[in-house]
Amino acid sequence: MDKALRPGRWLIYAILFGFALFTLLPLIVIVLNSFRTAVEIGRSSLIGWPAGLAWRNWSEAWGHFCIAQRCEGIRPYMENSFMMVVPATILSTALGAIAGYSISLWRFRGDTIVFAIVVMGVFLPEQMKLIPWALVLRELELTNTIGALVLIHTVQGFSFTTLFCRNYYIGIPQDLMKAARVDGAGYFRTFWRIVLPLSPPILIVTVIWQFTGIWNEFLFGVTFTTGVQQPVTAALIAIATTPATDVVEYGVESAAVLLAAIPTLLVYFFGGRYFLRGLTAGAVK
Amino acid sequence: MRRRLADFLPLLVIWLPLLISVAHVVGFTAWTTWLSFTPSDLLPEYDWAGLRSYRAVLRTENTEIAYANLLVYGVGYVGLTMIIGFVLAVLIDQRIRAENLLRTIYLYPLAVSFVVTGTVWSWLFNPGQGIQKFVNSLGWTSFRFDWIIDRDFALYTIIIAAVWHGVGFAMALFLAGLRSIDPDLHKAAQIDGAGPFRFYLRIAAPGVAPIAISVLVILLQYAIKTFDLVRALTGGGPGISTTLPALVVYDFMFQRGQLGRGSAAAVLLLLSLIVVLLPYYFYTHWRARRERTNG
Amino acid sequence: MRIRRRDLLAGAAAAATLPLAARAQVKPRVTFISQWSSGSDGAAITGLGKRLEAEGGIWQHSPVPGFTTEMMNKLRADIIAGNPPAASQLKGPEIAAWCKIAPTVNLDPLVEAAGYEKLIPTELVGLHKPQGHWIALPMQVYRTTTLFMSRPAMAKVGATKAPKTWAEFNELATAMKAAGIIPVANGGIRWDDGMKLEIALAGINAESYRGALMKLDSKALKSADMLEAFAQLRRFANWMDPNIAAQHYSVNLPKFLKGEMGMLMMGGWAQGVIKNLGGKLEDVLITSAPQNEGKPCFVLNADSMIFWKRKEPDLTAGQQLLAKLMMQKDVQEQYSQTTGSIPVRIDVDLSGAAWSDGQREAAQVLNESFKSKRVLLSLAHNMAQPNQISSAMIDVLTEYVHNDKVTPEQGVQRLAAAVDTARG
Repeated sequence: MDKALRPGRWLIYAILFGFALFTLLPLIVIVLNSFRTAVEIGRSSLIGWPAGLAWRNWSEAWGHFCIAQRCEGIRPYMENSFMMVVPATILSTALGAIAGYSISLWRFRGDTIVFAIVVMGVFLPEQMKLIPWALVLRELELTNTIGALVLIHTVQGFSFTTLFCRNYYIGIPQDLMKAARVDGAGYFRTFWRIVLPLSPPILIVTVIWQFTGIWNEFLFGVTFTTGVQQPVTAALIAIATTPATDVVEYGVESAAVLLAAIPTLLVYFFGGRYFLRGLTAGAVK
Repeated sequence: MRRRLADFLPLLVIWLPLLISVAHVVGFTAWTTWLSFTPSDLLPEYDWAGLRSYRAVLRTENTEIAYANLLVYGVGYVGLTMIIGFVLAVLIDQRIRAENLLRTIYLYPLAVSFVVTGTVWSWLFNPGQGIQKFVNSLGWTSFRFDWIIDRDFALYTIIIAAVWHGVGFAMALFLAGLRSIDPDLHKAAQIDGAGPFRFYLRIAAPGVAPIAISVLVILLQYAIKTFDLVRALTGGGPGISTTLPALVVYDFMFQRGQLGRGSAAAVLLLLSLIVVLLPYYFYTHWRARRERTNG
Repeated sequence: MRIRRRDLLAGAAAAATLPLAARAQVKPRVTFISQWSSGSDGAAITGLGKRLEAEGGIWQHSPVPGFTTEMMNKLRADIIAGNPPAASQLKGPEIAAWCKIAPTVNLDPLVEAAGYEKLIPTELVGLHKPQGHWIALPMQVYRTTTLFMSRPAMAKVGATKAPKTWAEFNELATAMKAAGIIPVANGGIRWDDGMKLEIALAGINAESYRGALMKLDSKALKSADMLEAFAQLRRFANWMDPNIAAQHYSVNLPKFLKGEMGMLMMGGWAQGVIKNLGGKLEDVLITSAPQNEGKPCFVLNADSMIFWKRKEPDLTAGQQLLAKLMMQKDVQEQYSQTTGSIPVRIDVDLSGAAWSDGQREAAQVLNESFKSKRVLLSLAHNMAQPNQISSAMIDVLTEYVHNDKVTPEQGVQRLAAAVDTARG
């Protein structure tokens, strides 16, 4: 089959690289803009080659730019985002794995209904959850803390992670389970000895998905935190929203956007291969 | 005693998170539904107001335009993403040398938030400062690419940006699906003398159908929840020509401070979701039943 | 439950020392929420905070990124949590709507002590006393009916003065278009489009404006003046740059300053933006928008702060301090000089060098309009109507601007229908 395609092989490469160029276009534009000064951009346009390398944009964005009257750049917000994303990702993945394991391999009464309801959570639009969460946070007295965001993202992420894990674990052959039971292993031992070692592909998929989703989330991050605890998405919006009395610093904004995107880009850069492997192993069926 | 604990602990571990999640999903949905029948404005009120909010929401032009847009956008976004994703997966499956590089490039948009996606694409689509200006400056002065300011075409710019974001994901899943097709089938096809086209059409495509369903569902939920992308790209404009249901919910609930109407809009959105999901549910049931009878 | 004598004694001792301890510890403190995180608004509110600190207070401001809706979401979430800020940004009719959902502070004693009520425009007073007593204070005033003209553009068509009526404006715009200049610089954001209608209508007949946009009187909404305003709005739309959509008006400023665009109808704040861009104010002529009736009229946009009831003594003290400062002349001068607005008090002297001609002219018009009762509230900036109604109306207006198939008659109909639906 290889040979049959060889004459058309240049066409295949052309299509693939053509689309790759399309995919890279926004990244190229924003990287270029991060090296242009706002005056340059204001004078010409948003697509253009930098006249010089405005490294100042980067240092401003990282450590000096005044966001909400604090002139420390986005670094403190990045730290906040990490403090929120890491626990929420770990918790939601762990809980999802256990739930997926329970639902797929330890059948119990009502498991289909419960699973369906949990998965429904994936589809609920964020806007309608804003006020209910405010009420819940009030009862739990968690308003304006990073913990509030960790809770929200864990509970909401649980729907996704359970979906992914359950669909994956259901592919584990029943013989393995039977063998474990014959050996006298109970719920926890089976998980530890048999299921967990088989899990890396799906766990990686889940971690990547959760990390990205939570890192890039804006609505809850802005509403349930104040000032110093806000995640980096809030800082980006602060840079981007032009009050009616001011001028947009496109250059610094571009640098800030890139800095804020580095963690997720790295995750996909290094984890991409495992992401694909996890999917091949049957993550989403 | 220890035996009791050993029996009880798994139940706790199983049920506690599940119950919290169920309470979360059911509770929030029920609360929103209840609110949609109240006259709530800035804060929830719990008296009964019947279908007043629904009537008000359905009467506004925003709702009509939003759902019409959702149809076009949904079909365009999901359809294009899946087709392009599948084609890319097939092409990469041809033992391409640059697979790692290409895969990394195709996947990175998923790492970018919708807000940033919308913002950067709004720069590119801007006729006076983006692609049109750039091509014009290269000498082709009659080139026009001003869809984003044209109320009949602006929606397509959103589709383009959304497709850009999602193709990598679709490609990854389709590629995974293609790779999990039994290699014996490949050989059998070769022996039968079937060319590549026939192979992909007759054997591979049906083989990835289950994964295609998964892709479809994930893309659909993105499509229905689309909010940040539109806000950043067109702001719902020109005028209100690119508004979508999630924006209508936000508009009523928060911009106008009318929780009752916003909740009604949210319930309508969920209902439209059910309309789409019900076929999927029946499909999985049908497939399970088929496997049982065949298997 | 037996109360032991020991406990009684301890309780009495504590109660006896409490006033002393409380008095010793009360340092006025203010927690504040607003959307003013950057730019001149951010600088101004920070300046106010520094002033509060100079007077011995503690200033804790949490700006919310995004626009007003995000700020209101945060405010609502905090109110739901039972933890409203001591004061927050809130303007116009929203003050009346929000004071119903959480208790506010009665500022009457402070306002009377400062004799403040007679020093500010009457239209503003009503907005801040929705339940009959003062609960909020205005911070600064802007005029939305300001006309900025590019002198280079004027030179190109040989115009020497600003148009005083819409007829003159239309003539000038036609001349500019013929000379290859884009007559109207518009960004295309919702409130920008909405503003164009209010400027048109206010320039046609101030009383029609009051009836239609402020009182929502259905006869006024369907009147001949309204039809004329929509016709004028259609003319504006045809004179705008077709390549601009949903952008902030400031993207037009470079061309405007060079003379490629002729006229900008915007609020007074645009001065600050022009300066920030490096533009020279000598290149711009700033004046009132055309007025067919020949009498001055002022369409007002004001920012305000509302005070939420708190039990804590340090917050109560902070609120009193903040309110007193906000009513003072020097604080208002400082605030308005930073943002380019006009102070709320009409007795402030703007002749100093720290004020621009544009501010002086606007303040003068405000004074005159105040005396002749021709001060109006801006619709596009959510002063005339609460958000649920103004949102619906601006939807119609922004659609109209961007869809040239809608005729002025249809525009008038749609606006009236939108008002009905939003009210019902």
